[in-house]
Amino acid sequence: MQILQYTLRRLLYLLPVIFGVSFVIFILFNVVLGDPTPILLGKNATLKQIEELRHQLGLDRSWLMQYLDVVKSAFTFDFGISWSTKQKISDIIISRAYPSLTLTLPAFVISTTFSILISLFVAYYRGRGIDTFVRVLCIALMSISSLVYILFFQWFFAFHLEWFEISGYEPGFPDFLAYTTLPGIIWIVLSIGPDVRFFRTVMLDEIYQDYVRTARAKGLREVTILLKHVLRNALVPIITYVVIQIPFLILGALLLESFFGIPGLGGVILEAINSSDFPVIKAFAILTSIVYIVFNLITDVLYAVVDPRIKLH
Amino acid sequence: MRCFLWGILLTSLLATVSCTKKGGSTGEKVLQLGTPAKVKGFDPIEASDLYSGNEVARVYEGLLQFHYLKRPYELVPNLAAEMPKVSNEGLTYTFKLKKGVLFHDNQCFPGTKGREMVAKDVEYSLKRLADPKLQSKGWWLLDGKIKGLNEWREKYSDAEKVNYEEEIPGMQVLDTYVIQFTLVKPFPQFLYAFAMPFTYVVPREAVEFYGDSFLNNPVGTGPFMTGQYTQANTIIYKKFHKYRDEYYPSEGAEGDEAAGLLKSAGKKIPFVDKIKVTIMPESQPMWLNFLKGNIDAMAIPKDNFNQAMVGGVLNEDFKKKGITEVKKVGLDVTFIAFNHENKLFKNNLKLRAAMSLAFDREFMNKNFYNGISIPAQSIIPPNIAGYIDGYVGPFQNFDLEKAKKLLAEAGYPEGKKLPEITYHFKYDTTGRQNAEAIKQMMGNIGINLKLIGVTWPELVKVVNTKQAMMYGMAWGADYPDAENFLQLLYSPNAAPGSNGSNYNDPEFDKKYEEAVVLPDGPERTKKYEELYKYAAEKVPLIYGFHRVNYVLEHGWFRNYKFIEFDHGVAKYWDIDLEAKDKLKPNL
Repeated sequence: MQILQYTLRRLLYLLPVIFGVSFVIFILFNVVLGDPTPILLGKNATLKQIEELRHQLGLDRSWLMQYLDVVKSAFTFDFGISWSTKQKISDIIISRAYPSLTLTLPAFVISTTFSILISLFVAYYRGRGIDTFVRVLCIALMSISSLVYILFFQWFFAFHLEWFEISGYEPGFPDFLAYTTLPGIIWIVLSIGPDVRFFRTVMLDEIYQDYVRTARAKGLREVTILLKHVLRNALVPIITYVVIQIPFLILGALLLESFFGIPGLGGVILEAINSSDFPVIKAFAILTSIVYIVFNLITDVLYAVVDPRIKLH
Repeated sequence: MRCFLWGILLTSLLATVSCTKKGGSTGEKVLQLGTPAKVKGFDPIEASDLYSGNEVARVYEGLLQFHYLKRPYELVPNLAAEMPKVSNEGLTYTFKLKKGVLFHDNQCFPGTKGREMVAKDVEYSLKRLADPKLQSKGWWLLDGKIKGLNEWREKYSDAEKVNYEEEIPGMQVLDTYVIQFTLVKPFPQFLYAFAMPFTYVVPREAVEFYGDSFLNNPVGTGPFMTGQYTQANTIIYKKFHKYRDEYYPSEGAEGDEAAGLLKSAGKKIPFVDKIKVTIMPESQPMWLNFLKGNIDAMAIPKDNFNQAMVGGVLNEDFKKKGITEVKKVGLDVTFIAFNHENKLFKNNLKLRAAMSLAFDREFMNKNFYNGISIPAQSIIPPNIAGYIDGYVGPFQNFDLEKAKKLLAEAGYPEGKKLPEITYHFKYDTTGRQNAEAIKQMMGNIGINLKLIGVTWPELVKVVNTKQAMMYGMAWGADYPDAENFLQLLYSPNAAPGSNGSNYNDPEFDKKYEEAVVLPDGPERTKKYEELYKYAAEKVPLIYGFHRVNYVLEHGWFRNYKFIEFDHGVAKYWDIDLEAKDKLKPNL
């Protein structure tokens, strides 16, 4: 009951946030970026044509009316149609989110699971050679640009060894695996460095706590202590770190999608920016904000679930 | 049980992963192409970018097309039965259409059978291009040209619905297969409009049946057809089996026969059964796919140029694999524009000339164009009438001493007393490097450039609002006529029009107006050449390059010839399956 009340109250807080986000987006697109019509009409546009299109797109209306349109779309999720592809924006998001998720979701789950396991392992062997090796390896992995991984892995594993397709995409399981496995591996390699470093620190914070000493004094095996006690107590920061990344999975991985030809949402955003497709950019900005807030809320609620000492007010 | 599930998962993963194809034809001729940009859709009136235009032209067709082999470029009939009859005063164009041309079978037609294309379809398609509600980027092609069309557009710009039934005096359907256009004033370039995707013919039934999603449901008369476009990264086209009898050209330009380009002469087109177009925004995957034989031909990416060409010759290793190269001289010009509404540059020939002389084209060519592009002396590119081969402009060759002298004469010795000059450029890696090089060159004569890197929409905005002091840009030909380049300096086209530098020179305007109304011929060429020289002497822009590249093709790809206006040319291309089976396994 307490969680329900808390959730409802937090959802209510969404309202002013949506107004705020809409306002920032409105200012950004209507004031800072200026008139999109010359881009939409191309290199031979005339002044008259620009005026006509401004009128058709409602850009000559008062700023208040245009702002209210943005607010309305944020509440109704009706973002209209894309100026460049004439598709319904909601359809674009639904159809392109799937390829993004087929790449990011498995990679995210695998990288997070591996990172937690590796961090538990190095926490167990803290201070020893293997711990130092993993830490150095993590820093080395993090120091290399993502572009280098992409270019090298694509050339070596897909082109040279021919283990994977160079690029492309087929929807449907398991067809997409031939195309998403290599970018997925790159995602994992890119994520594992920072993830392991973060999780290891969290584990080590816990491992020196009194309750761990008590557990050892009671004669519990080190593996049991790690899995049953340390991991459970480390869950709060881990949840914060993990859940907050989920909204970005939906948005896809721009570079990976672009290099591997995966028709995901990352590419949609880039295309929209390049073609001044404001309705699409606005829709993504609004959705990202809302999803981010919702996942923040989920994180808070999960705190109470995993740690009964935390009370939600 | 868990082990079993893991086993299944791993097996399926390995099975899918290990199925990367090594070649081996299926007996079906599939043309494999790559394109670097997303295709916006399949509505001809929206086909403003090169890549969308290419895809539109596989499905739709226009009344005219460019001869695939002949150079200089020559218009020939496509949906038209013959070239139009033009009245003596150059005002009336009468097109006779081919009979028996069918639209693709589609559910928009009764019984899903495609019907015959007629003159009414041409009229309807052009009205769509002019429809104020649709705001096509291609409206400029017809703007102010056809009698009564602007009035029609004006009349319905504020109305709720546009009346397509209303007759337009300058667009008359004379019978089922004949349509006549009457122009407001002579404009010989008018014919080029009918070879551009904007004017390609669409059936009214499809537009009305699909409504807003017509863009993604192409129904044309072209040699290939495709289903609903889902904005996916791969587009598959199938041969249209009811395509009318069309044949590969029997005549070509000099050297075409020796190059084997006339081997298919007189054969029925199209040759391939399918076209697979894959969208690859990054150059590495496209290049690797080409090297593996998953793409039949592609232009060499900038970063791979030295891998492919050694000392201007194709790499031996590539030759052994059956790869050949085709030179591609683009009808374009890159330039650095001055804003002539800025008092610093307006009527200040010496300053502009000094900056042009300080611009080291040799250095830029070597570092940014692999040393193969053509330094531009003026605004008209090679291979079209008006370009003067061998002409060297007075201020277009790098000369630092002369530049310093002119700068001093302009009142700014060693750049002293000059206000800060800003240079806007499209921000990306190459854009930044390019801008830094220009800053360095101007610094050599004492001019300090402040670089401002912006996104493409921002660059267009500052140019259109006349806020950019100097900026970098390029212009590609819409059609092979010098008018298309010279109009960049014509004052009525000032920003937000195509004259983004806002150059305003009554003498230039007068010469331009005299030239563009003339029919193609020696008199017009002479006038274009005068304008070419004038535009070099007055330095309204710092001219950069006419870009050159090479297209590489695999040994099984047949009939490829570079054509600047390559809309719809896939119908001439062929795949030699025997050669493919032999060559692809060795890649």
